[in-house]
Amino acid sequence: MMADTDKAMQELDDLFASARQNPVPLPDHLATAIMNDALVARSEERVPQQEPENRRQVHFGIWRQLMVAIGGLPALGGMAAACVVGVWVGLAPPSFLPDPAQLVGYSDSTSVPYDSYDLASVLGEEVQ
Amino acid sequence: MVGEPDPNLSDDALLVLYANGDGRAVQELTMRLSPRCFGVAMRVLGNRAEAEDITQEAMMRLWRMAPNWQPGQAQVSTWLYRVAMNLCIDLKRRQRGGYVDLDAVPEPADTSRSASEQMQEGARHDALQVALMQLPERQRQAVVLRHIEELPNPEIAGIMDISVEAVESLTARGKRALAAILAGRREELGYSDG
Repeated sequence: MMADTDKAMQELDDLFASARQNPVPLPDHLATAIMNDALVARSEERVPQQEPENRRQVHFGIWRQLMVAIGGLPALGGMAAACVVGVWVGLAPPSFLPDPAQLVGYSDSTSVPYDSYDLASVLGEEVQ
Repeated sequence: MVGEPDPNLSDDALLVLYANGDGRAVQELTMRLSPRCFGVAMRVLGNRAEAEDITQEAMMRLWRMAPNWQPGQAQVSTWLYRVAMNLCIDLKRRQRGGYVDLDAVPEPADTSRSASEQMQEGARHDALQVALMQLPERQRQAVVLRHIEELPNPEIAGIMDISVEAVESLTARGKRALAAILAGRREELGYSDG
């Protein structure tokens, strides 16, 4: 019984040895495909490195397009000057304009009957 | 390609060369690693087309992993075997009841032997493959890695993510099971009593 087992194991070892001596050859088309994959993987590896640069270019591109649409640096300077004048007029208005500080809390609803009910009353009085 | 890389370079070094953009390392790595990966996948799956797919996928993962490879930490071949074995398991899980493709079993390449010897050798290979396919998945992997690839048990343990004792148990049980399966075909395979 023991001898049978030993013999069976020896025969199995022979089969393994035979399998080792006759390895499965790698098909040529598979080797070619694997080497092509290597080139593809390497090119994929390069793409993410370029991605942030591309994104930056798009970012700058949008600002540049906006500048061109506005009219360039001179137009941007004019817009900035207009903003400053607007703020200045708001804070220190000329004498012929009301002082905005005095208008805070001012309501003219009693003098002008713009509310629908008051306006209807006035119009009704005029008709009469 | 300007020339071939030094054949004495380790797999580690070649992988680093590849990651650094040296295309010459591609052919050397392919010729070193792919046949072993393909051979194991063939034995584990018993199907040529599937083994080709698994080999190509495992190698693709190797190429993609190359930039992150840390030389000296592990053997490239161990990493590749591990990926291939896991891909085989995934494939078999998806299939649930794979088949044995006898046409996929390789023919003996030695033409110096007689036709009857070659036929008997072919029959033995077929018999071994058929017997292997009757083993449970993990036993088959362990037996192929140990007895056909001749990897040491600690490396197999690393590939299969199990202990060395578990590898020893799997290979011992697998071998006993194979011997029992093949016992009924001794005469057919040219093994005479005595």
